[in-house]
Amino acid sequence: MLLQQLVNGIMIGSVYALTAMGATLIYGILRILDIANAAAYAVGAYLGWYIYTLTNNLFLAFFLAMILTGLIGVLVEKYIYLPIISKPNVITIVPLITSVGLFTLTGDLLRLIAGPNVKSLGVKLRIGVLQIGNLRINPEWIFIIILTALLFSILWFILNKTKLGLAWRATASDSEIAQAMGVNINVSMALSYILGYGFAASAGIMVGLLYNSIYPTMGDIPSYKMLAIIVLGGLGNPVGTVLAGLLIGLSETLVAAYIGSIMPRDVIAFLVLIIVLLVKPSGLISKKNA
Amino acid sequence: MLEIKDVEIYYGQMKVIKEVSISVHEGELVTVIGANGAGKTTLIKAIMGLKEIKSGSIIFKEKDITNDPAWKRAEMGIGYIPEGRRVFNNLTVEENLKMGCYKIKDKDTIKKNINKAYELFPILDERKNQLANTMSGGEQQMLAIGRALVLEPRLLLIDEISMGLMPILVNTSFRIIKELNDAGITVLIVEQNANKVLKIADRGYVLETGNIVMENTAKNLMENDTVKKAYLGS
Repeated sequence: MLLQQLVNGIMIGSVYALTAMGATLIYGILRILDIANAAAYAVGAYLGWYIYTLTNNLFLAFFLAMILTGLIGVLVEKYIYLPIISKPNVITIVPLITSVGLFTLTGDLLRLIAGPNVKSLGVKLRIGVLQIGNLRINPEWIFIIILTALLFSILWFILNKTKLGLAWRATASDSEIAQAMGVNINVSMALSYILGYGFAASAGIMVGLLYNSIYPTMGDIPSYKMLAIIVLGGLGNPVGTVLAGLLIGLSETLVAAYIGSIMPRDVIAFLVLIIVLLVKPSGLISKKNA
Repeated sequence: MLEIKDVEIYYGQMKVIKEVSISVHEGELVTVIGANGAGKTTLIKAIMGLKEIKSGSIIFKEKDITNDPAWKRAEMGIGYIPEGRRVFNNLTVEENLKMGCYKIKDKDTIKKNINKAYELFPILDERKNQLANTMSGGEQQMLAIGRALVLEPRLLLIDEISMGLMPILVNTSFRIIKELNDAGITVLIVEQNANKVLKIADRGYVLETGNIVMENTAKNLMENDTVKKAYLGS
């Protein structure tokens, strides 16, 4: 049934968008392709699981894990990326390789600390399954869709309605001139990381909740799918990222439902990427028109 | 008001600014003229805090600002009109102006200053909700000037305002700068178009491959044979 598939696709897509949003925010300001954003996804899931097992409070687990992961992001930015990119004549591949290293390291650290086994979140939501005709919506989905909408609304508000957000957008447009106008670029960078890693963390917990499993390598697939999404969205463009996330989520679901499993699900993201880039090389929304 | 002492700047191993000293007094309109690649943009960026200097010092209003970041210098009242306009493309005209007064806290002052910019350039008012990159080069130039003015700068740094503009707009731009200076804003402008800028400036420096080779009143520079030959095309 089409409606069911659409709901599935939108839900998966919004989780993808959340995962990729961090990388988009970071690329927008620092021009770093931060693969380690997918590490924040896994770290966030583990923190969420840990806080949930301690407190049995899902909301607390979500927000505390987001904040903690966001703060880790600020530390990573300040003590790892910033010293690297502020050296003269650094080629862009250096921070990229750094982020891959950081990502691999985090996966191994999680394995060492929490063990290689799959952990289950074991959340029981009090609301039941929502049944509208043939449309079946699990309580986890409702939770995810509402939370994603809430997070994106907050992001939209910060970026478009606050002075901090204006400074962020100006810095993304031309960081040198933004500084000359009085923007402390360190604040914009920190904002990118706190929001970026926080969002990735929330996506990690959502996926953990959805499949009831958390494991050290859970960031692997998001790490490359996230790349497809941010490129598709026009690199550094928040609105484009949401659209690209939804497009990929819907494509995956619809292809799986109607064409069948002729290819692995995770390939579809890249097929969509290639097709869109062939038609429009600057991505869905190019930066200039954002 | 502005005192640059023995400033040296490097790009990698290459020294592009060599022991340059420049002073600008309150109310003056001072220019640094020089050919392409003489180091003009580097110099003005260093004064704004966008380019690190190797040695020397920059004093603004009796305060050593050599190690202050650009955003602090903006806070002190240094305005900047960059080469090639560089408006924030994906921001609206009004948002660009808001960025110009980023360091102003008082909301009424912000509103007042933005309205003043609209009075100076009515076209900006008409297009305030338009994205900056949808405007023509001339309109973007007005926006770049307006964006620097809303800060109510004590000192205005201008980098090659004539670059890439139609001749008629070049004249307008220089006229506006002169008017701003008459209204009390101190101006330091680096410029390749010596002909035009010396007509409005009080004093000038000649920058050649990173060295100040001459310093005089604008009037004397215009009459100097070397300057005539090298920069005025006569």
